[in-house]
Amino acid sequence: MFFVTYLRRELRRRMRQAIFIALGLAVGVGLVVTVAAASAGVKKAQSGVLSSLYGVGTNVTVTGAPPGPPASGQTRQKPLRLGPNGMEICTSNGTCTSAAGKTVDNAISQYSGISESKVAEVARLHDVAAVAGGITLTVSTVTFGSSASGPPLSSSSLTLDGVNTGRLSLGPLSTASLTSGHSFTAADADSGVAVVDSGYATSSSLRVGSVLTIDQVNFAVIGIVRQAQASSPPDVYIPLARAQAMPVFPSSLAHEVNTIYVSAASSADISAVTTAIERLLPASTVTSQASLASEVTGSVTSAAKLANDLGKWLAVLVLIAAFAVASLLTMAAVARRVTEFGTLKAIGWRTRRIVAQVLGESLVMGIAGAAVGVGLGFAGAAIIARVAPELSGVVSGNTGPAASQPAGGPGPVNGGPGGSGSHTVSVPLHPSVTVGVIVLAVLLAVAGGLLAGSFASWRIARLRPADALSRVA
Amino acid sequence: MYKLTGVTKLYQKGRHTVRAVAGLDLVIDDGEWLAVQGKTGHGKSTLLNLLGGLDRPTEGTVELNGTNLGTLRETQLTRGRAESIGFVFQTFNLIPTLSAAENVETALIPLRTPAAHRRSQIAAALDLVGLADRATHLPSEMSGGQQQRVAIARALVKQPSVILADEPTGNLDEDTRDDIIGLLERLWRERGLTLVLVTHDTSVARRAQRVAVMNNGRLTIHSLPAVSD
Repeated sequence: MFFVTYLRRELRRRMRQAIFIALGLAVGVGLVVTVAAASAGVKKAQSGVLSSLYGVGTNVTVTGAPPGPPASGQTRQKPLRLGPNGMEICTSNGTCTSAAGKTVDNAISQYSGISESKVAEVARLHDVAAVAGGITLTVSTVTFGSSASGPPLSSSSLTLDGVNTGRLSLGPLSTASLTSGHSFTAADADSGVAVVDSGYATSSSLRVGSVLTIDQVNFAVIGIVRQAQASSPPDVYIPLARAQAMPVFPSSLAHEVNTIYVSAASSADISAVTTAIERLLPASTVTSQASLASEVTGSVTSAAKLANDLGKWLAVLVLIAAFAVASLLTMAAVARRVTEFGTLKAIGWRTRRIVAQVLGESLVMGIAGAAVGVGLGFAGAAIIARVAPELSGVVSGNTGPAASQPAGGPGPVNGGPGGSGSHTVSVPLHPSVTVGVIVLAVLLAVAGGLLAGSFASWRIARLRPADALSRVA
Repeated sequence: MYKLTGVTKLYQKGRHTVRAVAGLDLVIDDGEWLAVQGKTGHGKSTLLNLLGGLDRPTEGTVELNGTNLGTLRETQLTRGRAESIGFVFQTFNLIPTLSAAENVETALIPLRTPAAHRRSQIAAALDLVGLADRATHLPSEMSGGQQQRVAIARALVKQPSVILADEPTGNLDEDTRDDIIGLLERLWRERGLTLVLVTHDTSVARRAQRVAVMNNGRLTIHSLPAVSD
C-alpha cells in the first residue's frame, strides 16, 4: 500500500526527528502515567488508613465516650500492688494474693459502653441500612515467675475485636481475607472460637485448631485472616457475646458494645445519619468517613497534596512542552518538505491526501510515544514504589475504633491509655498503573501527535503549489 | 488546446506590485512543441504555472480545451492536473525517500489506478525512459540525468495530453542535456503530446516548433522549423 510505504520511508528518513518527537511525547505521557500511578497509590494508602479504622462498607462509626476518672475504690487496671513478699494481685473486695507463677490478663476498653438497646435504636434510624455493634479491647498479659519479688517473666498485649457474627459485612473483619480455616457464622454467636490475624498467628505460633487463652478463657482458632497491608488490624476476633462476657476494666461491657459500625442507605444520607446518631448518643463520638479523612494528617496527606498539586501541574507542563516541541518540529519538517508537497499538489494530489499522509506520520509518532511513555510510566511507578518512604496517616485520638490499638506494637500506635493522643497508621505507597491511565496515556500521546500533525496540515492546506515550486525555481 | 486571452498576472512583493505577465495572448495547438525563453524574472515560470492551473490569472482567461481554468474550483484543477498535465521540473522534484518506481507511482495515486495496473504502467514508463533496471533505486543513487528521466517517466505514466517542462535541462551537463531533450522530443513525436518547455538554452529552444520569448511579462513568438536529432 503506497500510503504505508511513503509513511514508513519518511519516518525512516527523519528517524532522529521522529524519535525525538516520540520521546518528547513519551516523557510527557510517562510523567502523566507516573503521577497518576503515584496519585492512585496515595489514594489507596489513604483509603487503607480509613479502612483500617472502619472496615469496608462502614460509613459511620460510633464509639462510646472516653471513660471518666475511676470511681472511688476502683482503678483502671486490675490492681497489682507490691506486698511484703513481692507483687500481689488484689481483687475489688480487697483480697490480695501473691502474683508468683501467675499470668495476669488485663482487658481495657478505651470507650465507655453503649447499651445494646441504643444499638437497636440506631438501627431503626431513618436512612440506616445496617448496624453492627462491636467491642474493641486491648488485652495486656503479664506473667510472673516463681518469685513475685522479681520482675515479670514476660509481658505482651493483643488487640481484641468482639464481632457481631450475624453482621460480618461491617467492622474490621469485613476487610480481611481468609488464609486458612473459616470465618464466623451466625451460629458462632456465643461460641468459644476465635479468628486470628495472620501476623499475630505467626508471632504467637497459632494455626487453625490451636487453642488461644485470653483471661483464662479458651478459644479454639477456627480461621486465620490477612488484612490489607496498609491497615492495622485487630490481632484476635471473637464473638461479641464472648467479648461482652470478659472482665473489662474499668467497667464490664455485659450487654453493651463500645463501637457501632453503621452503613447508610446511600452516600447522600451519611450526613443526615451522622446528625441523627449524634442526637441519639450525644456523649459518643460519631465519625463519618469524610470527617475522618479530613482529620488524617501526616506524610500520606502531604504525598496526596504533592501528587495532586505539584505532580499534576508538572505533568501538565511537561505534556504541554512535549506537545509544543512535537508541533514545532513537525512544522519545521513540513517547511522543509514544502517543495515535496508542492510537487505532489502539482501532479494532482489533493490536499486532504497529503494531510492524511502527514497526519499518519504524526499518528505513528504519537503511538510510539504512547508505547514508550507507558513503559516510562511503569518504570517511574516502580522507582517510586522502590524509593518512596512508607507513608504515615495520623488520626487524632478518640477517632475511630482502632484508636484503641496498643502502643509499641507493629502498625498503629496510640497516644496513651486515655486515647487522647494521635493514632498513627503506617502505609506503604504502592503506585498502581490502571488500564484507565494507560488508555489516557495513549490518547494523550496520540492527541499530541495529531495536534502536531494538525498544525502541519493547516500549513499544507494553505500551501499554493505555485508558491511551493517557486522556492526551488 | 490552450488559448490565453489578455492574461495578466500581478504579484504583491512587499509594498510593490510586480507584473509577471502583462496582457498576454497566446494559442498553443494540440501536439505543438512551444519553447519559452527569456531572462530570469521575466515571467516564464509564471506562464507555465498559469498553463498548469497552479496559478490563476489576475486578468484575462486561460482556456484548456475550451475550459476556462480560472473558473474551475481547486479540486477540479487538481483533478485536471492529475489526468491531463505532466510536469517536469528543473530540480527534478523527486521524493528522496521513494524509489524510482515509487516516484513514478505518485502520479498514479490521484487517479486511483488499481495496484496491478499501476505496476505495469510504471514498468512501461521506466522502460520508455531507459531506466527499467533502476526501478528500485533511490534518487540519491542516480545521476542527475537519470533523476530527470524518472521525473519524465512520472510525467508520462498517466499518459497526459500536455507536458509542461520548466528548464528540464537547467541542472544537467551538455551531454545529458542533449540526452534528455532527445528523449522529450522522441516522446513528443511518438505520443503527439503538447509540449511547453521553458529554457534559457537557445540550442534547446531551437528544437521546438515555435519559440516564445518573454520580456517583462510580454511575449514575442518566433516560428522555427523543428530540428531532429
